[in-house]
Amino acid sequence: MHIAEGYLPPEQAAAWFVVSAPFVVHGSRALVRQVRADPDSKLLLGAAGAFTFALSALKIPSVTGSSSHPTGTGLGAVLFRPPVMSVLGGIVLLFQALLLAHGGLSTLGANVFSMAIVGPWVAYGSYTMVRRVGGGLDPAVFAAATLGSLATYSVTVAQLALAFPDPMSGIVGALAKFGGIFAVTQIPLAISEGLLTVLVVRLLGRTSGDDLRRLGLLRPAAEVRA
Amino acid sequence: MFALDIAAHTGPWRTRHPAEKALLALGLLVCAVALPTWPSALLSGGAAAVLLAAARVPPVVVLRAARVPLLFVATSTVPLLVSMPAPARLAIDPAGLPVAVQTAGRSVAALTCLLLFTATTPLSDVLPRLHRLGIPPAVTEVAALTYRMLFLLVQSVRAVRQAQAGRLGFRTWRTTYRSLAGQAGAVFVRALHRARRLEEGLAVRGYTGSLAVQVAAHRVSVPFVAATTALLGAIVIASTGVVSPW
Repeated sequence: MHIAEGYLPPEQAAAWFVVSAPFVVHGSRALVRQVRADPDSKLLLGAAGAFTFALSALKIPSVTGSSSHPTGTGLGAVLFRPPVMSVLGGIVLLFQALLLAHGGLSTLGANVFSMAIVGPWVAYGSYTMVRRVGGGLDPAVFAAATLGSLATYSVTVAQLALAFPDPMSGIVGALAKFGGIFAVTQIPLAISEGLLTVLVVRLLGRTSGDDLRRLGLLRPAAEVRA
Repeated sequence: MFALDIAAHTGPWRTRHPAEKALLALGLLVCAVALPTWPSALLSGGAAAVLLAAARVPPVVVLRAARVPLLFVATSTVPLLVSMPAPARLAIDPAGLPVAVQTAGRSVAALTCLLLFTATTPLSDVLPRLHRLGIPPAVTEVAALTYRMLFLLVQSVRAVRQAQAGRLGFRTWRTTYRSLAGQAGAVFVRALHRARRLEEGLAVRGYTGSLAVQVAAHRVSVPFVAATTALLGAIVIASTGVVSPW
């Protein structure tokens, strides 16, 4: 759910740039270090960015009869880790604004915060937690994709509520109003994205096991046997 | 290819320096967002709409691109028209109408300015120049690689979707999800395969970590910049009510 160009008041739009900047700078430094240590990883990162963008071309059927696209933050965070996703997500959001007019330049800071920072961190945190308590790959991936998508939606709703508080009940009322209007599509979409991501990871486990092992999603074969 | 990118590559403003177009379109966007909405949204949005016509961007391209953001604007403007005096109770709020109109007006004007930039400026002209803004070259090169690969991958998604549709892959919910997973899987495999092929191709050409590309040289047009500055100045003066003493 991208906040459209110009929708946020200028002070709030600027504030979200300030909030997002440290995460993007940290991610950029991590990316520069990685590229310096291994120049070839630049190509993999470019492919990862293009893959994340291409996920937005998938059309998930919605319960309302329309269709929507997955955020891809859950899968991206699990495959490529949240710091790198803050930069890749930022690049993808910039491309979506400039190639598709989804989101915008003035609202880029707010969209980066919800989709490239909070979404990936919540997704990765959920994935790690489920794995640590002994959960399998499928439940961990489902939790990552669903909660990552829900976190993205919740932050966007909070951003809108902060920008436009209800005249009677303030920010709490605005949260209920914006949350209610978008929940119809976003909650089923988050569950759909969770199910879809599990299917994608299962499929990739069969067809690209070596790539998933290299990215740390599957354990090395020797470790599994041990 | 995306319709906006095609318009940018084939339009008469293709050969203009991207900085000129950025000054014009993004300057109008800043005016639309940062100045008091009335009259700046009307002036900036109106100027952007006239310039889209002057740049001969097909109206159908603009309208198609604007559909999704306008749907967001329409949906998220509804809560501004109602208030919540008590939990789970909604009432029409007459005072919300000016806020809703102002927000929608600002957003539509800013969107028109964004479309002026995207429909006249190819990303391939912008990306090699981003490092001049202080963005690390590693980040701009990753962005350029992403840009280079994403068209192939989006094309792959469409081709796989068409093939799956031909095999009744979207008949039921179960087959739809299986087909969607197939699309994402195919794109993932293709993206990594593409990266590996690029890696091998660059390695045999003596790749050292720098991906220098030739950037077409465009001269900055002084009359265009002067006219842009005059237009932006006029909008600022008209919107803030600042009248020159001369």
